[in-house]
Amino acid sequence: MSNDILRVTGLKISYAVGDSKVRAVDDATFSIPAGSIVGLVGESGCGKTTVARGLTRVMAKSASIDGGEALFDGHDLLGMSEPQINQLRWREIAFIPQSAMNSLDPVYRIEKQLNEVLLQRGGYNRRQARQRTEELFDMVGIDPQRLRDFPHQFSGGMRQRVAIALALALNPKLIIADEPVTALDVIVQRQILDTLKELQEKLGISVILVTHDISVVAYVCDRIVVMYAGRVVESGDTETVLTAPYHPYTMGLYNAFPDLQSSEGLLTPIEGHPPDLRSPPPGCRFAPRCPFAQGRCSERGEVPLVDVGHGHMSACLRYGEAASLRTDASKAETWAAMA
Amino acid sequence: MFRLMPTNPLAAYIDPTFTEEQQLALMAKFGLDRPLWEQYFIYLKNLLQGELGDSFFYRQPVGERVLELLPNTLILTFSSLIIAYAFGIIVGAWLAWKRDSIAERTAIPLVLTTRAMPEFWLGMLLLAVFSFSLGWFPAGGTRSPGSEYSGYFDLYTSRDFLVHLVLPAATLAIYSQGLPLLLMRSNMLEVMNEDFVTMARIKGLSNWTVVVRHAARNALLPVMTSFAIAVGYQIQGNVVVETVFSWPGLGRELVNAVSASDYPLAQGAFLMIAVVVVLMNLLADLLYNLLDPRVSHA
Amino acid sequence: MHSDIAGETRAEPGFVGRFLARIHLPLDDPFAVVGLIIYAIFIAMAIFADQLATHDPLEILFTSDYQLAADRRPGQDGFILGTTSLGRDIYSQLIYGSRSALLIGITAAFMVAVIGTVVGLLAGYFRGWIDIVLMRAADIAFGIPFLPFVIVLSAFLEPSIWNVVFAMAMILWRDTGRVIRSQVLTLRTRAYIDAARVAGSSDLKIVFRHIAPNILPLSFLYGTIAIGWAILTEAAISFLGFGDPETISWGYMLQDAYASQALSTGGYYWFVPPGICIVLVVVAGFFISRGYEEILFPKLKE
Repeated sequence: MSNDILRVTGLKISYAVGDSKVRAVDDATFSIPAGSIVGLVGESGCGKTTVARGLTRVMAKSASIDGGEALFDGHDLLGMSEPQINQLRWREIAFIPQSAMNSLDPVYRIEKQLNEVLLQRGGYNRRQARQRTEELFDMVGIDPQRLRDFPHQFSGGMRQRVAIALALALNPKLIIADEPVTALDVIVQRQILDTLKELQEKLGISVILVTHDISVVAYVCDRIVVMYAGRVVESGDTETVLTAPYHPYTMGLYNAFPDLQSSEGLLTPIEGHPPDLRSPPPGCRFAPRCPFAQGRCSERGEVPLVDVGHGHMSACLRYGEAASLRTDASKAETWAAMA
Repeated sequence: MFRLMPTNPLAAYIDPTFTEEQQLALMAKFGLDRPLWEQYFIYLKNLLQGELGDSFFYRQPVGERVLELLPNTLILTFSSLIIAYAFGIIVGAWLAWKRDSIAERTAIPLVLTTRAMPEFWLGMLLLAVFSFSLGWFPAGGTRSPGSEYSGYFDLYTSRDFLVHLVLPAATLAIYSQGLPLLLMRSNMLEVMNEDFVTMARIKGLSNWTVVVRHAARNALLPVMTSFAIAVGYQIQGNVVVETVFSWPGLGRELVNAVSASDYPLAQGAFLMIAVVVVLMNLLADLLYNLLDPRVSHA
Repeated sequence: MHSDIAGETRAEPGFVGRFLARIHLPLDDPFAVVGLIIYAIFIAMAIFADQLATHDPLEILFTSDYQLAADRRPGQDGFILGTTSLGRDIYSQLIYGSRSALLIGITAAFMVAVIGTVVGLLAGYFRGWIDIVLMRAADIAFGIPFLPFVIVLSAFLEPSIWNVVFAMAMILWRDTGRVIRSQVLTLRTRAYIDAARVAGSSDLKIVFRHIAPNILPLSFLYGTIAIGWAILTEAAISFLGFGDPETISWGYMLQDAYASQALSTGGYYWFVPPGICIVLVVVAGFFISRGYEEILFPKLKE
């Protein structure tokens, strides 16, 4: 597929913890088709945020990229020098953080924070910048009067809109949104996602939407990438994957979240916790929590991602029996048995 | 409280050749013949009317004397603290930026050592080296003997005055820079972990913008608040440094007045110092409200 | 902190044993170890002052030909650090100075820690009017300029090194008191305090058995800081001439040197050593308290 804006292959990122290293992202492979929204989903600690930050190459001091490739528009983000990638930051790749409250500088007016990127990164002059800030606020649905306000004067949803306006400021090709609606209530979540989707379609931007909430993916994403314990376990078109998941983890996640459209139905959690990455389990990392695990699942060696049809990839040894697993996975008893 | 001092306050004032009657007349003039509690109430009544009494030694109203000395103390305090804060803020931010480097590791114990020095001893060292041994600066006072100035403005802007100011101000500045430095450093370390600093990096903003405009600007808030508190604190600490450098300020006056049992003056100086301390604590609150938009634009 | 609380329910050793166990010296912090070594050296110096000193610190000395042994340079005529302008041995004064420094430092620290802890415990545990009264008193103490207050106090009391201790006890409990109070306020909401109350423990027993042991490290931290404060304050007071002329302290030595024009005659051997001693003892306290802060507030380590 040559029209991918971003193609990540074999990405490995680890954190130094004391004297040892913890591989938080292990061999992640996925791609982002131009002009689409791709959901990167998994429980907390599965490495999805690490992937998002790794792509910007702004990470904690203890984090290091140990291998892999991330081709953005044909250029490897991971092999670039710091000045080279800094050229791309915000102009080509922008970021929407989880908590806009903490990611807006509390001591400056919003106008100033928008101007900062427009002037310093976008080459705008004062007059152009003024016009652009108003335009941006119009786009995300905030009264331009409020440009003169400080971050703490906005509500949570409004702040998230400000964060979107900031991300759009320089017309980037790709926006990485890290849990952009997590802190909000469901109604505001939908409004923000609607705005994001609408602007993404209008402007032809690509979006990586990192979330732990599979219903958010179902609501807006064209494609889905499911991560577990640092690895991609399933990916494909959102509709295909969610109607006919091949990996038990995806089935479990789907049970665990309410639909954004309606809040009915019983939720079935996946018992247990993601593994300690200092000593990950051998074979399939989900096996210890998987109701369908067999002896061979825990044998040494990584379970490969297999194309189960039309670019739908899954890393489950029992992908051949997916249909019957799905039937069992829809029953709460199956998961409760693991408790 | 000052009345409890053991010596007869008029000892300095009364010539031994005075007769008994003359002494008693003088005592009556200053109201010292009345019972202590009555003296105290008279004092309080006068205080409320802005009247601090007369100095026994200078035979001059205390209020006048204290106000005369206040500018000297304030100039010394502010000049030293401004230098100390400018230095402390910049170096503190730099040390946070250079976290875990050799520079940082050696700087911290060094700064702690400056905090551990008695201020007057530091003053003595500077005095011995730069004044007596090298002869670069005068040994004390605010002006050279024999020089005349037509007014305060003339004096305070004269080269002579500034040369006299260098050593005492340097002493206080070296002692005081530790607080803003350590405060700035720890605030910076905290702020550098904030999301908005990370975001500034993701925006590809220059290092200068990230570190100075975002991290340092936010870390500065509590440091600026501490400035006003430091002024109040410094005014107390001035006592010893003014004494070392014979700087005619409130602190030295307090020491002299206490030594000479000139208690209206001692009380006046003490009161003035306390007023500055309280005013500065108030200012600290105001400053914080002004500098933090989360409070000023609530 | 969590393990501390868990330990609370176990069989209790004697109060002293628990006290020592809780102080746990910060031995893994190199600076704190340096601080402890400095303390040890000065404590040894104070204990063995009689053996270490070569002369009576206040005795006016004469040379063998009956000349006043004044203003001797270090090493001259066998005076290790020289003599003062009155012919007193500087080295011996320095040794004896450690006695008053430690005496003042440790008693002041003890008073500050004890008063502050008791105030904090009472205010935090009983709250209500006791809290209001004590915290207003702390506010007033915060408004009093410390050094000028000590000067005034020294002036109408007989000159004595205890004035400083007394003044510190009257003023500096405020910091300890406030911190301990807020710590007590959080502690008293913990489940095991409720459990003790339900089990019928008296207030006194709860305070001394369950709360006090948990705030001891904090009292100790503030005590350590107060040692340096006391020594610095005593030095300043002596320097200003309000000290006890009968007791040799480092501050007294500095005042003596300053008043005797040692600065203009280049008598560095006279006024540098006492200053260095003060700096060493005070900085040792800083290092140790920093080690404590890291134990007490692990977040700072990050």
